[in-house]
Amino acid sequence: MSYEAERKELSDAMVGCKVPAIQAAVNKAHDNGMPATEIINAMSAGMTEVGTLFERGRLFLPHVLSAAAGMKSAMDILGPELAANSEAASSRGTVVMGTVEGDVHDIGKSICSTMLQCAGFDVHDLGRDVPSQNFIDEVKGGCNYCGMSALMTTTMVVMKDIIETMKAEGIRDKVVVMVGGAPVTQAYCDKIGADIYGESASETTEKAKARA
Amino acid sequence: MTEYITRMGDGRTVTMTREQIYEDAMAGMADGADAAQVPSLSDEDIEQIVDIICNKNRIVAVERGHEVILTEDGGPHKFMLDSGSCCNGVEMGRIDVMETIERGIGFDTFELTTTDYSIKPVKPIVGPEMTAMQQAAMRLTVPCLYGAMPNMGLYYSPDGAHLNPADLMREFRIEEAQQNAEAAAEQLTRDIVYVSESMMSAGADGFNFDNTASAGDAEFVATLRGVEQLRKDYPGAYITMGMAAENVLGIHGEIEYDGQIVAGLYPNDQVKLCEKAGANIFGAVVNTNTSRSFAWNVARAATIVKDCVKNSNIPVHANMGMGVCGVPMLETPPIDCVTRASKIMAEVACVDGI
Repeated sequence: MSYEAERKELSDAMVGCKVPAIQAAVNKAHDNGMPATEIINAMSAGMTEVGTLFERGRLFLPHVLSAAAGMKSAMDILGPELAANSEAASSRGTVVMGTVEGDVHDIGKSICSTMLQCAGFDVHDLGRDVPSQNFIDEVKGGCNYCGMSALMTTTMVVMKDIIETMKAEGIRDKVVVMVGGAPVTQAYCDKIGADIYGESASETTEKAKARA
Repeated sequence: MTEYITRMGDGRTVTMTREQIYEDAMAGMADGADAAQVPSLSDEDIEQIVDIICNKNRIVAVERGHEVILTEDGGPHKFMLDSGSCCNGVEMGRIDVMETIERGIGFDTFELTTTDYSIKPVKPIVGPEMTAMQQAAMRLTVPCLYGAMPNMGLYYSPDGAHLNPADLMREFRIEEAQQNAEAAAEQLTRDIVYVSESMMSAGADGFNFDNTASAGDAEFVATLRGVEQLRKDYPGAYITMGMAAENVLGIHGEIEYDGQIVAGLYPNDQVKLCEKAGANIFGAVVNTNTSRSFAWNVARAATIVKDCVKNSNIPVHANMGMGVCGVPMLETPPIDCVTRASKIMAEVACVDGI
């Protein structure tokens, strides 16, 4: 079965951002025999649309969180079936996120953390003005994604220092390095040897998912 | 086929044919019209944008009669500071810089600021700042404002007394996040009134609220309420409100000003609320996408700003700094793009000032 109707209903419910409606769509799809992994994939597509609408100013952060709460409740409903499929049940990865040392701007980084969390990543958000060593320690502790943000041209250079430290300590290859923030560009990402540049929170999340 | 030297949104130099520039301008216009829900530019507007981008001269200027007012934000520190690759690094006093910029560079207004450039840090030094304001007002001829960013981020932990809504949201504590944003907004409004009215009493001609709504919708509402009070108490104050981004981030999502939810508003609607609150000048912002071309970005910006100007009863000044309104995201914005974007804003978007 293609479950096209259920897929659309799930995606629409996610974009509607109402937890009861999302739960109803999940229960209906489940009762109709749609496999749990397909339900989660359909909801993820809806979540991507939610991220795009947030950036366009058509949905707001509480809506994004309501959609994420709906997704979380779906995981509870589908738990037993997902548990049988360990790949679907497991996290996409563990991300350490933070605004680099010397920089106190955190709103963009926080939105990005939220989007990543909504996409199924475990997120360790260290906040802002994060000592460089803390990023290194988190990677050594098992984080396989490292997201660094900077809003100032004077602090974005710290990203390069952290990547160099990762290389020196032999852990660079164990982690996907993501960079973002107003002054950061794809060219700068390439120059310092990071893996992902995100023009926006949703773009970063999509690129991270593609590597998961 | 002739190729023209232009740039990407991150400032990289590229060459493009006129046809490629036209296609990018059309695509940028379509994206801007869709994002802000505004009309597209006319064919003549697009042709004019393409002509300006393809101009062979390194810098361009407006035609006679199209000159616009030049206001300023950031204050004297851009002249004094030295970050290594931007600002001028000239060791001078703040008021000396203000005189230099007034008489040597020709801005039409200027402002006194502190290095922190935020409302909250001015509170403990308001006395010395009032003294400096008095001196500046006496020495300058152009309207002399005091300038600061509302910067509501400073009211959240770890800097302030209120829990950070973005952190609470991640824990699904949505109502608590909204309550903290509202409480922080109330505190910010009180501080805006205290600082701005202190400066007005010290002889400022007005106040510039720069980078408004950087922390989202609750900050926008707090600033509008502060402006409303300042207007009531100082009817002759010259109040400018410049925005932080093209749309108001919905961190709270439901907070209202004058019965309207402010989250998600674009410049054409932002300006109406600023006017209602009592601002004299609105500073429109459109974000630059660093992965797109200058043509894409500047046509997108012109589309959004033109409709804002059309819908506004107060002067609209386009914010032509690093990474906004078509200007590439580069520490020292390239002069070829800055002059082209400025000409496009003046002649196509019909702004009142820059």
